[in-house]
Amino acid sequence: MKLKFALIVSTAVAFTSCKPKLDADTPEKGNMDPTRFVALGGSTTAGFADGALYAEGQENSVGNILATQFQLVGGGSFLQPLMPSSSVGIGFTGKSKSILGYKTDCTSATSLSPIPFNAAGGDLVGLGTSVYSSPFNNMGVPGLSSNEMYYPGYGNPANGVGNYNPFFARMASNPATSTVLSDAMAINPTFFSLNIGEQDILNYALNGGGAAVINPVNGAAGIGFDGSITTAVTTLSANGAKGVIGNIPDVTLYPFFNTIPYNGLKLDVATAQLLTNALGQQGMSFAEGNNAFVIQDNSLPLGARQMKPGEYILLSIPLDSVKCNKMGSLIPIPERYVLTLEEVANIKAATNSYNAVISQVASTYGLALADVNTLLKSVKTGVIFNGIGLNANFVSGGTFSLDGIHLNPIGNAMVSNVFIKAINKTFGSTIPQVDATKYRGVKFP
Amino acid sequence: MKTMEKRILLLLFIVPLILRSQGFQVNLQGQKQQAMGSAGTALIQDATILFYNPGGASFLEKSEINAGFTPIFARGKYVDANTNASARTNSPMGTPFSLYGAFGFKKVEKLKLGLAVYTPFGSTVQWEDGWTGRFALTRLELKAIFVQPTVSYKITDKIGIGAGFVYSTGSVNLQKDIPVLGSDGNYGHAELAGSAAGLGYNAGIYFQPTEKLSFGLTYRSQVDMKVDDGEATFTVPDALNANFPDGKFSAALPLPQVASFGVAYKFSDKFNMAFDFNYAGWKAYDTLAFDYELNTTSLLDTKSAREYQNSYAFRLGGKYNVTEDFTAMAGISFNTTPVKDGYVTPETPDANRISYTAGVSYKFGEHISLDASFLFVSLQRKDKNLETNLDGTFKTNVCAPGIGFNYKF
Repeated sequence: MKLKFALIVSTAVAFTSCKPKLDADTPEKGNMDPTRFVALGGSTTAGFADGALYAEGQENSVGNILATQFQLVGGGSFLQPLMPSSSVGIGFTGKSKSILGYKTDCTSATSLSPIPFNAAGGDLVGLGTSVYSSPFNNMGVPGLSSNEMYYPGYGNPANGVGNYNPFFARMASNPATSTVLSDAMAINPTFFSLNIGEQDILNYALNGGGAAVINPVNGAAGIGFDGSITTAVTTLSANGAKGVIGNIPDVTLYPFFNTIPYNGLKLDVATAQLLTNALGQQGMSFAEGNNAFVIQDNSLPLGARQMKPGEYILLSIPLDSVKCNKMGSLIPIPERYVLTLEEVANIKAATNSYNAVISQVASTYGLALADVNTLLKSVKTGVIFNGIGLNANFVSGGTFSLDGIHLNPIGNAMVSNVFIKAINKTFGSTIPQVDATKYRGVKFP
Repeated sequence: MKTMEKRILLLLFIVPLILRSQGFQVNLQGQKQQAMGSAGTALIQDATILFYNPGGASFLEKSEINAGFTPIFARGKYVDANTNASARTNSPMGTPFSLYGAFGFKKVEKLKLGLAVYTPFGSTVQWEDGWTGRFALTRLELKAIFVQPTVSYKITDKIGIGAGFVYSTGSVNLQKDIPVLGSDGNYGHAELAGSAAGLGYNAGIYFQPTEKLSFGLTYRSQVDMKVDDGEATFTVPDALNANFPDGKFSAALPLPQVASFGVAYKFSDKFNMAFDFNYAGWKAYDTLAFDYELNTTSLLDTKSAREYQNSYAFRLGGKYNVTEDFTAMAGISFNTTPVKDGYVTPETPDANRISYTAGVSYKFGEHISLDASFLFVSLQRKDKNLETNLDGTFKTNVCAPGIGFNYKF
């Protein structure tokens, strides 16, 4: 009996005293003040994903993730212009968010593919309804480029379709007169994040270059990138606020430009011979197997050539036309679906110039510099976060959402961690990074 | 003849109990040795010498049976260095059980035959649901049971030699989440389960130059636990079923060779001390490889570097006979970890460790004695794993109270 009692006691002691005590250090804010945080930027800051603005994406926006971590060191609430939680979302062309589903193509083959969550279209009502009641902390506006931060009436529907940003209209304090920057200042921020300039480059890249232009690096606010960003930072930090600024990724590594290979034209012997007969005079040649696609090139007398390595086909290309209607072979791919070597060089040069400006502004104004570009370059080659492998491949890579341009929640978490590391380094804070494993990648049916 | 029958019956009764048991990778054989910092290569305590030094078994005065049971409470916690995310283990109690029987014969007094059944390796680690390292591991259950028939022979009054053949049987069950997400928000899950078997031996020399001084030298061979016909089961979103086909897999896990040297000294009739040094050939565990019968672009054979290094241990223990029947024991041991920096995993968040042990033994008459032991070890290790990038601190506390039963006849 005694023995039994002793056993029970010792077992109980073993069970309780064996619990290890191990605690993380208490996070410190250092010399940044997160009391009133405003996040200013474009689509990434807004939480645009899967081709649309919708509530889940907004909740996993870089702005909101940062704010959540700031709350560990005394940060205040973070008001976002959320879409209704039941909304199907809406994108730039009126479509709903995309999900991964099954799609049957013109060859009757069914495969996994992004499909609209709502075939009938996006949430026009949600987009058209003002959600403003008090100043928002998340001033991320889908589609915002650097020069547009100062346009009074950037959200004014009276300007007519195409001449205003409906995403800003729904959140502006006064759509007719507000600028994005003036609404951001309504928070009277003690700390800000600024992530701007990517859209300036995407406006060019997503149109296949060509006639589209990238905002010039130099120029006054509202025209050039350096003037625009300098004015934004001067304004945001006028009351002594500190901040963090993110640089711009090389957008050509996005899945939107890397999913369809330049030499994805698969031919059998007979078709290759047929094409060589038809196009050989233009200096093109085809063989069995993989061949470079034929694209439109107006600089040539006959207006077409085969693609070269290092050139990209955009994901917006009508794939059924490629598969079933000879696009990319007898019918050249229109130039709006292609980035040529020259256009790629323009994008890279602009990105480097913009990033040089951003670095300069960061050091001039004592801002933390989040090197998003380096992060996404490493994603391109593949990274591993706590056992999750991530890369820049479309769908399977996990990092990018189903539009191939904007990030998934897990991608946003990775970007947020780059911001947090930069803040901690610059301001001596010890804000914990986010556990990216808690943020989702692509959902499979 | 009748006593022989009894012996066999006793074994038949106990063996099934043992086969259901499992363990942790702390060497927990014999309560008296455990209480003395696990030193015991040169000190003959009871039938557990079959494990500690087969050569010493020939010096047992009588036939003896020892049965021991050591419930293990191992509790772990992880704190991530970057995110402060934390997680605990809720591993089930480990239940290593051991049985030793050493049998003498009147006609050949110098000979002892023995059978040892013990669980020198094995553990179950279960991490809390949804923890940040779940793509590295959610649960690992390793079991290995060694069955060791042994012959021990006393060459002279001072020297005994012995050797045992080891048959090892065990099982492995490894589970982790797969980073593919279903529309229901659940991640995929992999379960790799199989049974394993291996062969080896345990040999030793016991040398007692004087009444007071004794030495022991033993060698336990490496045992390769091979899983040939494991079952891999994957739970993934329907769209990815073809990428992760259920099927067979094979894998191997080396259980290392261990060489031990021990010395024991009897300072008085009441006080003995024992010291062991042992060296474990963990270097053999360089890779954890899973070879799947059905490969796809998503399911390739994996080779995870483990790069273990050889480890050693110093063990020191003392025992004091308080009365004729009552003995108190205490000990301490220091083990180096086989796991290099960059290779710490949630499977075995191992670290250099100091173990503290104590115990008592009480004789109930001439035939029967009971032992009780207690072991406490706390290990902590900060590391960033090179394969998964899991970067944080693991802390594990192990409490192992054990009881042992001895019968001499």
